[in-house]
Amino acid sequence: MGKQQQGLTDHGQHRRILFAMFLFGIAAFVPILLRLHQLMVRQYDYYASLALRNQTRTTLVTADRGNIYDCNMNILAGSVTVENVYLDPRELRQAKVDIPALAQVLGEILGKDPQWIEEQAGDITRRYQQIGARVEPEVAARIRTYINSQGISGVHLEPGSRRTYPMGSLAAQVIGFTDASNQGVEGVELAYDSFLRGDPGRVVTTKGNNEMDMPFSFERYQHAQPGCSVILTLDSTVQRCLEKQLQTAVQRYQVQNGAFGLVMNCKTGEILAMATLESYDPNHYQQIGDEKIRADLEARKARMDLLPRDSADYRREKEAYDKIRTDAQLRQWRNRVIADGYEPGSTFKVLTMAAALDTGAIDLNTDFYCRGAEQIPGRSQLLHCWRHQGHGAEKTPQALQNSCNIAFAHIALKLGGERFYEYIQKFGILEKTGIDLKGESKGVFFDKSLITNTEKWGTASLTSGSFGQTFKITPLQLVRGISSVVNGGKLLEPYIVSEVLDDQGNTVLRQEPTVVRQTISPETSKTMCSLIRSVVTNGTAKNAAVLGYSVGGKTGTSEKIDVFDENGRRVQDKIVSFVGIAPMDDPEYIVLAALDTPSRETGIYISGGVMAAPTVGGVLGDILPYLGVHREEGADTQVLMEDFTGLTPKEAKKRLEELGLTGKFQGEAETVTEQIPTAGQAVPGGSEVLLYLGQAPGSREVRVPDFRGMNRQQAADAAGSLGIYLRISGNPEIAPQITVTAQSEAPDSLILPGTTITLEFTDTTIRD
Amino acid sequence: MAAERHLRAKENRPLRKYGRDESVDFPFLFLVLLLLGIGLTMLYSASYAQSLYDTGYQNSARYFLKQAVCAVIGILAMYGFSRIPVGFWYRMAWPLYGASILLLLSVLVFGQKVNGARRWINIAGIRFQPSEVAKFTMILLLARLTREFGSRAEKFRYGVLGFGLAIMGILVPLALEKHLSAILLMGMVAVVMMFVAGTKIKWLLGGAAAAGVFVVVYISFMGYAGDRVTAWLHPELDPGDTGYQILQSLYAIGSGGLFGLGLGKSRQKYLYLPFQYNDYIFPVICEELGLVGAAVIIVLFSALILRGYWIALRARDRFSTVLGAGLVTLMALQIILNLCVVTNLLPSTGIALPFFSYGGTALAMNLGEMGVVLQISRYRNQRKIQEADI
Repeated sequence: MGKQQQGLTDHGQHRRILFAMFLFGIAAFVPILLRLHQLMVRQYDYYASLALRNQTRTTLVTADRGNIYDCNMNILAGSVTVENVYLDPRELRQAKVDIPALAQVLGEILGKDPQWIEEQAGDITRRYQQIGARVEPEVAARIRTYINSQGISGVHLEPGSRRTYPMGSLAAQVIGFTDASNQGVEGVELAYDSFLRGDPGRVVTTKGNNEMDMPFSFERYQHAQPGCSVILTLDSTVQRCLEKQLQTAVQRYQVQNGAFGLVMNCKTGEILAMATLESYDPNHYQQIGDEKIRADLEARKARMDLLPRDSADYRREKEAYDKIRTDAQLRQWRNRVIADGYEPGSTFKVLTMAAALDTGAIDLNTDFYCRGAEQIPGRSQLLHCWRHQGHGAEKTPQALQNSCNIAFAHIALKLGGERFYEYIQKFGILEKTGIDLKGESKGVFFDKSLITNTEKWGTASLTSGSFGQTFKITPLQLVRGISSVVNGGKLLEPYIVSEVLDDQGNTVLRQEPTVVRQTISPETSKTMCSLIRSVVTNGTAKNAAVLGYSVGGKTGTSEKIDVFDENGRRVQDKIVSFVGIAPMDDPEYIVLAALDTPSRETGIYISGGVMAAPTVGGVLGDILPYLGVHREEGADTQVLMEDFTGLTPKEAKKRLEELGLTGKFQGEAETVTEQIPTAGQAVPGGSEVLLYLGQAPGSREVRVPDFRGMNRQQAADAAGSLGIYLRISGNPEIAPQITVTAQSEAPDSLILPGTTITLEFTDTTIRD
Repeated sequence: MAAERHLRAKENRPLRKYGRDESVDFPFLFLVLLLLGIGLTMLYSASYAQSLYDTGYQNSARYFLKQAVCAVIGILAMYGFSRIPVGFWYRMAWPLYGASILLLLSVLVFGQKVNGARRWINIAGIRFQPSEVAKFTMILLLARLTREFGSRAEKFRYGVLGFGLAIMGILVPLALEKHLSAILLMGMVAVVMMFVAGTKIKWLLGGAAAAGVFVVVYISFMGYAGDRVTAWLHPELDPGDTGYQILQSLYAIGSGGLFGLGLGKSRQKYLYLPFQYNDYIFPVICEELGLVGAAVIIVLFSALILRGYWIALRARDRFSTVLGAGLVTLMALQIILNLCVVTNLLPSTGIALPFFSYGGTALAMNLGEMGVVLQISRYRNQRKIQEADI
């Protein structure tokens, strides 16, 4: 065989194999190793972090939500520990748990459909199927006992928290509530959510894809930072007084559309109470608080349940049901004091007069004459005063005391549109008050030109505006404006939260009174104080008087401008309101109460003076002593009865004198054996008490008379004959037309002699 | 003429055993067994999570056990093949070649679909991939042709057309199977064998260029060239879909660092990295054993390849040399292509890592082929047979 046939020599072939050997045995691995070095050493951090992000699951651990306290550190909103129950379907399956039996028991404990639980357990693609959200600790304990006793694995409990509101519906719209995910939805819960909610903790776990567990996994914890606590300026006692008085008024005057009110410190802008009725219980915020609507909804539901699920009737009924329910919910959650405008009516006259006095457009001796109706220049319609026969000749103080519209129209004309508008602006009527709550409205006021350009638009807006008609502002705007009138002219920024504390108790945020601007001079303010006081002493607000305190205020009755009946006719619905201030020598507290649409059926004249003034008077009567406002000397005092039994008549007499009481002794024994009233009861100072010496008292119970309609003298006679003590509230004056409108014990109920009954006197003839 | 015929007949005579029967090359055997041991260990680790998941958390060793059985079969095959004289393969080259073409074609008719590809066939209850067998038989035939062509390999008729036809006999059925990775691998092996056989380099370069053009045209006709190239160069642009596989692979490799997370502690294998127990087993190794462990394995592979070529170079005759070189090249290319793909140096193709990746046929065939190399190694210390002497 020749060399040519050999083709490549062995040497040549070997060279080629050596080339392949070098190429595939060494050279090819060089770029691979370089690439591995690049990936695993140079870019290690990059890929390690990407891989970690790829492989880890982050679970959030909810932080404890901070509490909400009132100004006395009473808890208004807190959190309780509850537990969530969930199933791990894969674990259940691996452990071969008898699922129908388990579903039966869990369904019973949790009040859920066992069928549904079985379905949840059947979805083995999932590892977390919640079957019970925020269950109470007792329920959780029952489940725990069951799964432990049966040795079941795959049912898990994890801690969660639920918001509670220990005071129920108290200040519900102010406090607000949280939703299912513990987020603030309304009120302070919403406005201060960023403080209250805290920072959730994190558990970072390595997890395989498709939720596979990894044996070599790790977990890292980052602890949750608990939320801050929020301390309100709100005083739950004051709030309770306000809500109680509003509730009483709603019942007494059959108020149709609820009521609202607020108590503010007019020196600082702190809100002490803020209420909207009908209210709701934030613990069950979905439930309708208004009983009538609730009953209606229940009836509808019952009707609906009778209909077949897929019928058109059912759908229609359901739609109506849902709409009523949603509307009612949105309505009851709404804080009308800040969110809704209303027509302030005559209460607004305080601002008009303050502006007119401050500019010098009028002085205290300016003369007005009211004929009951007058053709005001630049106004097409005849202007009527509420008192058709007219107020006759008045000076400035009487204009306010009488709440005379004719006089105020003239005041507005003297003041002029420019200045009126300028003061409206100063009083903060055109802006939000800046209160630290969400959802504040700024009302609807006239366009500037409507007021100022009287040549073009006439004087209708200017004159109507002067007595608070045909525009809307929020109650808080009004109260803030009037506060500046009585506090020396300082327009304040109201606030509801005084302090925010972290979980260690350190102050995170503290709110101080903020003066926005000066509205009127301190001198004008002084003058206005005495005028406002005179409305209660001599004017339409006599029913707001509180014995022992100098109360001032202004009544208001306004027709709602934008309410129409089904035929499109304007409904003559009225909002009656009153703004009261005390004490007038150095105003500290301002109270507003407004009743939306009192019924015409009670027969009581619908006016702020008759309905809202006593309500505010009641609030002031309750809160002023509580808040430690000095009570004037000579006012009636309450004495706490002591135990006189065992004392000799002489000793008893001495002690009675010290207490400012007189005694009447019956019987012959050496010492007192029985007494009326019994120890611990409060009686009006100077009352006569009955002390029995061995002799048993007569009939133990007496029937309460119906005091309503009686005047002071008649009431005293009726009470005296029965041995009942009276406490007088409301209008303190003694006059035949001032009669009892309410009594603390119902007529015909049985009480012990010596009991004190509170009677509320009102001048029911007052108009405004 | 008669003399020539006689010479040809003589040339075609089976290679006879010649000289003393030596033992197999121990370093090569040791490397094979060491890599097989490491491979099985890593397969158990890499397939652990997938096995658990696929068996409903009942069995962590499903894939490991199947692979272990195939490894036993493979070791038996390796032992058997190491005792079969190369002459047997020389004689059987044509029949086996024909048989594997039939098998490849029968796959198209009777084949079983796995993962969407029809590449498996069942014979007597054993499922295997004919393409794995075809790789071996093509190398056998090319080795035989190299010896038959001799110096004529330098001519176009033999060196290009002759080899080319033989190669096409296998590649065309594979193309019908749409088994792209096998075509690529076997095309490259064939080119290397032609190179070794003596085909002129200009033809090879020309052919490579033509193949390159063909691949580009073919891929652009397939319509997703742009997507593939984008997924390769910028996998991070579509991490959820086209870039997912390679990104997960890079996460595994990169997060291994210098020393790795430790044996068995891969996290990516928990179903993040798809195919973590076959084509993408190497990233799991990187993750668990780090750059150091990966480099050790690469060094072992390198040593195996170098020793394999060394054995081919020292083979007794030219058929053995070319056969050995072909088998080692097949091994080397599989390793290199696999590593290049998992590190994203090359776009994704489905090539498994010998001794490591799950796949019974491939493992058994790989070991069998190593047995053939071992047989060749028995004559490493002997004088070369001059072709004329056969």
